[in-house]
This record gives sequence, C-alpha cells and structure tokens, in this order.
Amino acid sequence: MDLSPVVAAISDEGIESAGKAIALGVGAGLGSIGAGIGIGIIFGKEIESVARQPEMKDELQSIRWLGFALTEAVAFYTFIFGLIAFFL
Amino acid sequence: MSADSAAVEAPSGASQSPAPKSGGLSTKAKVFIGLGAYFGVAILLFLIFGSDGKNEEFQPQNEFKLEPWITLELGGIDFSINKAVLYLLLASGLTIGTMLWIAKRMQQKPNRVQVAIEVAYDMTKNTIAGGSLDTKMARKWFPFLAALFFWIWFSNMIGFLPLPTNTEHAINIFGVEVPSFAIYAATANLSIPLVLTLVVWISYHVEGVRAKGFFKYLASWLPPGLEDMNPGAKAFIFVIEAVSHVARLISLSVRLFANILAGHLLLLFMGGGLAVLLGIAALGALTFPLAFFFFILEVGLIATLQAFIFSTLTAIYLGGATSASH
Repeated sequence: MDLSPVVAAISDEGIESAGKAIALGVGAGLGSIGAGIGIGIIFGKEIESVARQPEMKDELQSIRWLGFALTEAVAFYTFIFGLIAFFL
Repeated sequence: MSADSAAVEAPSGASQSPAPKSGGLSTKAKVFIGLGAYFGVAILLFLIFGSDGKNEEFQPQNEFKLEPWITLELGGIDFSINKAVLYLLLASGLTIGTMLWIAKRMQQKPNRVQVAIEVAYDMTKNTIAGGSLDTKMARKWFPFLAALFFWIWFSNMIGFLPLPTNTEHAINIFGVEVPSFAIYAATANLSIPLVLTLVVWISYHVEGVRAKGFFKYLASWLPPGLEDMNPGAKAFIFVIEAVSHVARLISLSVRLFANILAGHLLLLFMGGGLAVLLGIAALGALTFPLAFFFFILEVGLIATLQAFIFSTLTAIYLGGATSASH
C-alpha cells in the first residue's frame, strides 16, 4: 500500500494543532477520571462514617471539604496544563 | 417480603412506574420531554443557522490578558497598573472596609451582616487557626490566617461580578467609550497566589527554625520512627521531604490559581464563548443553561472553599513546622 500521498498531505501545522488538541483532551479527560474517583471515595466514606457515628458530623465536615478541595484541584492541574499546551 | 406483595409488584414493574402524577405524566416522561426540548431547541437552531466555520478572530486567552492602563516601569520591572491591580486594590479595600465598618458598628443585637461576619470570624478562629495550631501559635497567627481567608474570599467573590474592565473591547454609549463588562479575578493570575504562597512558605520555615533551631528543624522534616535507619537511607528520605517542601510552593499557589482560572474559563466558554469560537450558534442553546449551573457552583462553593483551603493549609503547614512531636 502506497502511503506517500497521505504522508505528503500531512502538514507540520496540522500535526501541531492535532497534538495540541490531543494534549488538551487527554490531559483534561484522564485527569478528571482520577479526581472523579477520588471525590466519590471521599463523599462515600464520609456518608459511611456519619451513618456509623452521627455525633462526629461537624468534625468530619471540615475534613471532608479539605479532602474534596485537595482532590478536585488535581483535575484542575491537568486542565490547566492541557490549556497551556493548547494555547501556547 | 411475602409472595403476595411480590405478585402485586410484578405487573406494576411491567407497566413502568404507573404512579399517577400531576398532569397525568410520570416523572420519567417529564424528564424525557425536558431533555427532548433542550436538545430539540439546539437542533432546530442548528438547522436554521447552521455553522459559520471556526472563528479565528476570537482569542479566548485574550480575556485574561493584562492590558497596561498606566505604564510604569522601575528599573526594568513592569509595574503597570492593569485590571489585576484594580481587582487587587478592590479586594483589599473591601476586606479592610467591611471589617472596620462592622467593628465600628458592633451591636448587642446584631444585624444580618454582623451575624455573617461573626460566623466567618468564628470559623477562622476556631476551625482554621484553632484546628491545626496550639493555643499560643493560634493566637499569634490568627490575624494573618483570617486576613488571608477574607482577602482571598473577597477577591474570588468580586471575580464573579461583571465589572467594566475590558478596555480591549470598548462600547460606545452616547459618545462615551465604556469598556465592556468582563469577569476577572486577581486570583486567576498566577502571580498573586504565588506571592501569597511565598509569604506563607517563608513564614512557616522561619517559625519552624525559631521554634526548634535550624538543624533540629531540618531533622524534624524526617518522619518519626526512622531512628535506627542507616544514614544513607535517611539522607535519601530527607531529599524526598525537601522536594515535597518545594512542591508545596507549587501546589498551594496553583491550586488556587487553577480553580479560579478554570472556573472563569468554564463560565466564558459556557456563556457563549464556545459557540462563538466554533461558529455554531446552536451550541449556545446547549451550553447557556450550564453556565448558570457553573456560576452557582463557583459562587456558592468554589470561591469560599478555596479561600478556606488556602488558609487551612497555611495553618497546617505552620502547625507541622512548629509541633514538637513530628
């Protein structure tokens, strides 16, 4: 199979913009998977703990938000680095 | 469950939730009609207006570009006044102003604003400062932590108010050039969280050195329980801990910056930016309701949460540097 016309049609610019789009998609997409799982675990465990010990609710609340924000930030790191790759 | 009730349930399961609802429609049907209308409007608009092709003129990154309003340069460093400086001053003014205003008008029977401020004050004092620091350190560092919390909170919140700051696109209203309204936050610029983080980073190291002495402080970076380890492995773990201390600089600043920037970008894209960028007007009908959702999420949760996290982590770092057990 002769691929030379296909190869000739691929421009450097096209490859570059495709790479940028892939960087943003993979960065933001895969990053969100991990953070999504993490946030699910945090809230699930918190519900479990409150169901077990309802009197701990207030103490757990601040810890939960701390964990939530730390995990959620990971999704944004990937998103920002994807955007940096896309626009710069 | 008896066999009787199972027999009753079987036909109802077959007919798919027959519970009569108002209007004669089940919840499922309502959801389907709602989603159908939502996508239907978008498809209809797409059929009418079609696609204009990709818009090359619209540069989303320019929404975050800082245009110098008053050019100032001292010794080769750019000190120009731009919109980030305006937001910085606004946030500082609001923080100082609100606190002084409330402090002057303290009443026995508090009004609503005073109650809100008192709740926030209580939270910064007991949850943020008191939660991670011992009493003496909490008393010493509470003003800093509270100022940090309130300043970041105000900075995030005014970031969601549209202000006439976009001088790049001026609108002519009766002969007066008015800059178009735009949202921007001082914390959506990496420099400002980075400066806050540097202050925090240096002060917790200084506190650690003052509490334990230089070499003892460095030794306290090692996790407890390594006393009978050989020196080579200890040095290796020390290097890892040192890297983690440097990484705190990045994680603390980028967390705040990325959250606010990503929030603003989402609002920009959902509120019409994506439709303009791709030249598909129908996309706006899909993304615009999402913009409301993200706005509520950002204002209601993220803005406060990020301010809380930043000051809580500051308190945790300060506590970790000075606590004797570690």
